[in-house]
Amino acid sequence: MSKEMSGKMNGSANETGIALNHDTKNVEQGLTLAQVRADLKSVKGKKYWRSVDELADTAEFQAAVEKEFPSAAQEWVDPVSRRGFMKLMGASMALAGLAGCTKQPDEPIYAYVKSPEDLILGKPMYFATAHPFVTGAVPLLVKSDEFRPIKIDGNPEHAYNQGSSDPFTQGTLLDLYDPDRSQHVTYRGENREWTEFAQELRLKVAGTKDGSGIYFLSATISSPTLARQWKAVQAAYPKAKLVQYDPAVAGTAAQSGQNAQYSLADADVIVSLDADFLSGASFPGFHKLVREYAARRKSPETLNRLYSIEGTPTTTGLKAEHRLGLRASEIPTFAAALAQAVGVAGVNAPAYAWTDEQKKFLSSLVKDLKANAGKSVVIPGLYQDASVTALALAINNALGNVGKTVQVSGETVNPLPSDQIADIKGLVADLNAGKVDWLVILNVNPIYNAPADLYFATAFDKAKIVAHLGSHLDETGQIAHWHIPSAHFLESWSDARAYDGTVSIVQPMIDPLYGGKTAHDVLQTLLDEPGLSAYEAVRATWKPVVKGDFETGWRKTLHQGWIDDTAFDNKGSVGLIALKSQVPAPSPKDSLEIIFRPDPTIYDGRWSNVGWLQELPKPVTSLSWDNAAIVSGATLTKLGLEEDDIVELTVGNGKVKAPVIVAPGHPDNSVTVYLGYGREFAGRVGSGAGFNAYLIRNTWAPLYANGSIRKIDGKWGIAITKSHFQDHRSKLFGGQGNGNNSLEADEAIGERGIIRYATLDEYKADPGFANEGENHTTTDMGTSMFPNWTYNEANAWGMSIDMNSCTGCNACIVSCYAENNIAVVGKQQVRIGRNMQWLRIDTYFEGDLSAPRAHFQPMACQHCENAPCEQVCPVGATVHTPEGLNTMVYNRCVGTRYCSNNCPYKVRRFNFLLFSDYETESLKLMRNPDVTVRSRGVMEKCSYCVQRISAAKIEADKENRNVRDGEIITACQQACPASAITFGNINDKQSRVAKLHSNERSYQVLADQNTRPRTKYVAAVLNPNSELQDTPVEHLPAKG
Amino acid sequence: MAQIFDRSSNALARASLVLTGLIVIALGVTLDQLQRSPWVTRQGQRPDQPVPFSHKHHVQGLGLQCQYCHVTVEKSSYAGIPPTKTCINCHSQIWTNAQLLEPVRSSWATGQSLVWTKVHDLPDFSYFSHEIHVNKGIGCASCHGRVDQMPLMYAQNTLQMEWCLDCHRNPAKNIRPTSEIYNMAWEKPAEDRPVWCSAGDEKSGLPTAQSVNCVTQDPGGAGAAEVASLQMPLGGPHGMTADVAAETLPVVPAYKKFTSQDELGHFLVDHYKIRTPKDLTSCETCHR
Repeated sequence: MSKEMSGKMNGSANETGIALNHDTKNVEQGLTLAQVRADLKSVKGKKYWRSVDELADTAEFQAAVEKEFPSAAQEWVDPVSRRGFMKLMGASMALAGLAGCTKQPDEPIYAYVKSPEDLILGKPMYFATAHPFVTGAVPLLVKSDEFRPIKIDGNPEHAYNQGSSDPFTQGTLLDLYDPDRSQHVTYRGENREWTEFAQELRLKVAGTKDGSGIYFLSATISSPTLARQWKAVQAAYPKAKLVQYDPAVAGTAAQSGQNAQYSLADADVIVSLDADFLSGASFPGFHKLVREYAARRKSPETLNRLYSIEGTPTTTGLKAEHRLGLRASEIPTFAAALAQAVGVAGVNAPAYAWTDEQKKFLSSLVKDLKANAGKSVVIPGLYQDASVTALALAINNALGNVGKTVQVSGETVNPLPSDQIADIKGLVADLNAGKVDWLVILNVNPIYNAPADLYFATAFDKAKIVAHLGSHLDETGQIAHWHIPSAHFLESWSDARAYDGTVSIVQPMIDPLYGGKTAHDVLQTLLDEPGLSAYEAVRATWKPVVKGDFETGWRKTLHQGWIDDTAFDNKGSVGLIALKSQVPAPSPKDSLEIIFRPDPTIYDGRWSNVGWLQELPKPVTSLSWDNAAIVSGATLTKLGLEEDDIVELTVGNGKVKAPVIVAPGHPDNSVTVYLGYGREFAGRVGSGAGFNAYLIRNTWAPLYANGSIRKIDGKWGIAITKSHFQDHRSKLFGGQGNGNNSLEADEAIGERGIIRYATLDEYKADPGFANEGENHTTTDMGTSMFPNWTYNEANAWGMSIDMNSCTGCNACIVSCYAENNIAVVGKQQVRIGRNMQWLRIDTYFEGDLSAPRAHFQPMACQHCENAPCEQVCPVGATVHTPEGLNTMVYNRCVGTRYCSNNCPYKVRRFNFLLFSDYETESLKLMRNPDVTVRSRGVMEKCSYCVQRISAAKIEADKENRNVRDGEIITACQQACPASAITFGNINDKQSRVAKLHSNERSYQVLADQNTRPRTKYVAAVLNPNSELQDTPVEHLPAKG
Repeated sequence: MAQIFDRSSNALARASLVLTGLIVIALGVTLDQLQRSPWVTRQGQRPDQPVPFSHKHHVQGLGLQCQYCHVTVEKSSYAGIPPTKTCINCHSQIWTNAQLLEPVRSSWATGQSLVWTKVHDLPDFSYFSHEIHVNKGIGCASCHGRVDQMPLMYAQNTLQMEWCLDCHRNPAKNIRPTSEIYNMAWEKPAEDRPVWCSAGDEKSGLPTAQSVNCVTQDPGGAGAAEVASLQMPLGGPHGMTADVAAETLPVVPAYKKFTSQDELGHFLVDHYKIRTPKDLTSCETCHR
């Protein structure tokens, strides 16, 4: 970057300023807020920060940075784990003693009796299936080793997701092998057989003649076959009732019959009205939307522009060029104002006192939308009032987007759309009226997650018999009369439709581990052929649809994973949805608003017991193992709270206690709570984590509600990963530096070019901005005291990460968990900085605390050519390979941790305790056999998926050729819906990674350390609207 | 007061110092030897197996080819242990009542696996691949020894890291033509046992196994030399007509004669494109 330009940017950064709201600790230290702000303003360059503590430079933060692995003394916080640890240590010491002078134990070989067809032992097989999810199925290709599914990834040939996946889908693998799944059919706690249940249900229902008194409470039916079976049951027993209930979609647009699909490939301007379409599969069409959004951001020539108007800060909003933080209840009014301004007929926006900033945002947005009519798209939020969905469609129609970037179809992903809130209300009324003889619950947990004002548990007792089909003996399963273990989708036959309507067949990868049954089996017991398998039922459904000879077509379908020509026909009617009701008026600005959202990692609570997803830091807040009351800094100050304080939230008659944390950009007087926590019977992992937000969620306000908050004594003890992996060295080493040398703190205090980006205009003026100018150091090959490595001519592995594409969705981290057998450590260990994720996503906030922008930087081992870790390892356990990998030899590692100490990127992970589970049988089935399971006392880190490199090299060597570009795909790359990660051979100048490395925007993080990393980042180029860019608004720190 | 120690104890003291040193050295040497001894490595030990299967009888006596049972040796990291079905293929016809074969029959009848004890057992942190070794010219016997002469299976070699590295540092000394992989009696070329090899077109893109032809009889004279290869012999059976063969086959270059393993090894290392010792001894080759 040229001097002039950096000067200009400094100016704008300083004008924007950094607002500090979290000043209570500083006041105690005698450091005034104004002083900190002044200090930060005087720092040159762009300013980034990662946590409020970091900004405020509190004593706690200092303490954390000074210990790279903080507070080892807290190891014994939990007396049970201490005893467990002593026991384990005793055992492993005995083993260590023996290992020196004994031989390996005899290993048996269990030979097959008859070898399965097509099995080559040691070579995985891949089968197509789909993850049936309430927002649309995710087509999958599952890696199967000896018929055990060991890795789930998107189906690369499927038009919808093209190989990508998401954290939920990745996490379902651990859900399959969850040792806490229920394992027996039980009746009042006694083990029974499935046939007994089936017979009893069949006889009972047949006895009613017309099905009166028989109620089914099912999760949203996503399977066309199940819908067909239900219709057959309905025909036979007209008075039997079906209620669908999925807490995360109840009351949203996803449950209704309308279906608009967005195509971002041709959209120059994208407007999100509280739509979090970039952060996870809870938004319908996530995979396609991210792919198309990111594809336009790979090159500065094709940049789109994203506006986000949102309540809860999400990665979508933080990625947006322009984000307007509004209270959730203001958004329908804003949408109406937007509709009116772009010329939608018949909309009268309620009068509202918008601030100047909001007015300016609206007028600029309208101007931009009008200029891009037909090339823009307005996406309504899922968790918004129905009027927002209707208004967004009207806006798209007025702009001429419908038929271009927006397609409307009469068909829906879920075959039986219904009003779930009204239906469950009706069910409870019937229960209370004593009308329910049999209540059959199919994969729902209403005792835990039904709306609080229904008092479901009380009504539940009035049903004569309750049968519960579920994967776990959960809150509902505990008190139901019958409990039937439910088969996982990887164990069963079914079908589902993806976002684009394509039908995928769900085929089993493994026999049910615990004899689980599916909803297909339950409904089929009531039909003419009660024993008909789900397989036969699914085949019967699609026999008329599959073209040509059915058996041939069916085999092709199973092979490819979808049925041809079943995508929605979008050419059909483009009927506008009438505004059913008036646009609701915003709640008063000083009232407290509580926003309910499904959790970004464990969704509605169904994945509570999946350790990978529990430990995954949530986007924006980096909170793991808990949910929290998320507020703005100003609200925190106003309420006189500190982070981690306990508050009591009240809505209606419900009350919950919750820890409070700050999310930058959260609207004031507003609290976001994630659903899905506070489980009582989730299993060994999920039980007891967080608080149950369903207790304050009512039928009259399932999306956001007015409530109240008050402080309660005590601290909760939340685990936030964002100040982990600090580098303390420069403070201790020669007394230089300020002690804040985590990557993030560096950026907060003084720029080191970890995040480099430019606006489009700046890029055009200076395309080489990423590698020019002060603090944008590039690697110098002549300055090391160590001789340069001589590398192979054939292969030099490298990675490129596109900062413009990454949306921080976390899919890569969960994929890495599965591929590399990474251990889950638990909340207490996360609290002291010991989570084992090889890959983390650093979130760098920039600018105003109440209106920040964020940069997401996936950070894993950089495979430095001049690696600081290698130089300090006393036992040669981390060594360099001729192809440039920085490789770990686990059985050499003695655990000095010098390497981690010397790593400037803080990407090494140490097994302080025996984190890997060597005991649980079901988890052994899940492990990747090509990767060592690490034991206690061993350092580990990203290996660039060396097992995949080796496999590809062996294949290439056999064929006497070089490894082809794209033949090796790392696990993170494979999962990434944005294709932000590229891996390959940088010696092959034609490879994609070599081209990206030579891109003028590619830069190396901490190049000034001369580590020469093999991972390069492509600097982002943003495309702001010049009207909005020129007038930054400074938010006062405590405006609440 | 009399001296406690007599003058002669000086010698004792000196001797004990030397002795202590010797004991320490002896202990070290003992442990070192112990670690390499068959007691630890199980080299040469014959564990109890459910059936005293004789490779000698089946390979040398009956002439079964290795891959009849170890079917995936060219395709996967595992060579493969035959399923009971493979045994029953023959033993439903012959020796149907032999007492020794009772476990096989009962496995077949009950569907329960035969449980063998692993003879060649690598530590779990080493990732060995049969397929790449077999495809690059390491014969079965190079690691497993003369299996055709073993009535009961045992490990010929230690399978310790130093043994692996010994070859990875200089693969030329063990490499053989891929056509001779399954030849248990293969011996290194010598003056009286020459080998003739011809390298095919380097750019033909043929897999390793087909890029080089080696024969053990002088191909110059007859012209119809035994063209052996791991895969389907070039221009061999399968009804390929002479015309087609002539069109599709590259011109066979001249054969070169080898009379020592060193020459042959280096020739094969070049033409099989074996990676350099630096690559082969890199940690990530076997550990990950």
